[in-house]
Amino acid sequence: MAAQTAEKGADMALTERLQLEVERAVQRSLKGIELLGAPPPTVGQTPKTVLHRRGTLSLYHYHATADEIYRVPILFVMAPTNKAYIVDLAPGQSLIEFLLGRGYDVYLMDWSAPSDDERHLKIDDYVLDFIPDCLRRVQQDSGEPDVSLVAYCAGGMLSVMYQSLHPGGPVKNLVCLTTPVDFKKMELFQSMSDRRHFDVDKLVDSVGVVPASMVAAGFDALRPASRVAGQVRLWDNLWNDQFVKGFRMMERWGNETLPLPGGYFRQTVKELLWNNALHEGTLKIGGRLVDLAKIKVPLLHIVAQHDHIVPSACSKPLVERVGSRDKEEVTLPGGHVSIAAGANAVKRMWPKLDSWLETRST
Amino acid sequence: MSTSLIPDPLQMWRDAVTKLESNVNSLVTGSMESQEVVRSLHQFRTVSLGMEQAFEKAIGSYLSKVNLPSRKDIADLAATLQRIEDKLDRVLPPAVEAALAPRPPRTRRPPAPVATAPQSAAAKAAPAKPRRGTKRSGS
Repeated sequence: MAAQTAEKGADMALTERLQLEVERAVQRSLKGIELLGAPPPTVGQTPKTVLHRRGTLSLYHYHATADEIYRVPILFVMAPTNKAYIVDLAPGQSLIEFLLGRGYDVYLMDWSAPSDDERHLKIDDYVLDFIPDCLRRVQQDSGEPDVSLVAYCAGGMLSVMYQSLHPGGPVKNLVCLTTPVDFKKMELFQSMSDRRHFDVDKLVDSVGVVPASMVAAGFDALRPASRVAGQVRLWDNLWNDQFVKGFRMMERWGNETLPLPGGYFRQTVKELLWNNALHEGTLKIGGRLVDLAKIKVPLLHIVAQHDHIVPSACSKPLVERVGSRDKEEVTLPGGHVSIAAGANAVKRMWPKLDSWLETRST
Repeated sequence: MSTSLIPDPLQMWRDAVTKLESNVNSLVTGSMESQEVVRSLHQFRTVSLGMEQAFEKAIGSYLSKVNLPSRKDIADLAATLQRIEDKLDRVLPPAVEAALAPRPPRTRRPPAPVATAPQSAAAKAAPAKPRRGTKRSGS
């Protein structure tokens, strides 16, 4: 009797499954056609004002949504390789929207493709010009002398360099997300930029601005099959509107990888990848030595457990090296991107960032 | 559905895609440890970049002959427009709406730690943080 019931249950399940798959197949066909003519997904919808724009740099101020905000504003520093809308994908999936809702005053440094005139921009320009310029503008606009820097990936690296050179500056708190320090631990980037085979001077001299396709190819090479597998998964989930929406936003972000100024790229390869100068303490910016021990402000470093771009071994030395008394490293489940955007971020990273900042933002 | 005793072929296919992706990624990234592979990749990049530049040069010459703007001309024009916009941003006063919009006061305090908060009914009734606003409000 029991066997008969189980058999019947199995048959029912099989029927249901077949019916479901037929429905999904129909949906896939219909939505696949829709997708072909669909415009790019809308991103970065949180209301904002452009405070300043200069070449590759844009400084935004997001409109506060809380009735009462913390005294210390946040300046978010994005990595120059990517657009900042990864932290403002869509309503409900936006770190910026979350921070505004939690009562922070948020400013953001975003980047656009550098023009040919900007091919000579170096790390020095980002650290000694763009960041301090934006900090001054945030101070001026907010009327507050203190600012919290929150920075992602290479934006964190630039912010760390800035702070070590300006320990008495306006930065009150420093939050770094997946920030690389020990470049010897980026094994694949090390292989790809092996000085025995890679003539960076020849490349930069010939292209001026390193094309976005080349920068994106560098990232793709770390997981070469993932782009194709992603397309297969997209087809499999075409019936699921939420999946398609999320996938397309992330795909758009990946496709809009930015070109890099040749000077910045050359310095990154030579100083950071070849000489590991930030980790070794031999990096000079504007002729001054970058010493992480000079960073004394409260520091939070959020590391992704499954980061394939900045492995935890590469980012771990940051907290060990800085001179701050109030410092904390948190390793959260997730990858390099999903730590900032996505379900993992909403559940883990965003609340951690809020709870750390709220006591230090008054 | 989950009670079925019959294996789901689509789920098996999905698992296979994931496994294949992982294996290919491991194989390719593992091959990057080889000097020969890295050297070949750079040679390929150098050749393809050279070809791309030669092609762009040829196209540029052709466009010049037929009196059409090249990508560089358009980029230069865009850069000029950007410079004008930047100057306008500096010269023009901020938008009236943005300038006049009152900003909320910077008086927010973090919520009291849960462990030390008094367990009164009033404390329980009030949210730990002010409720999220939906509009800009005056100070």
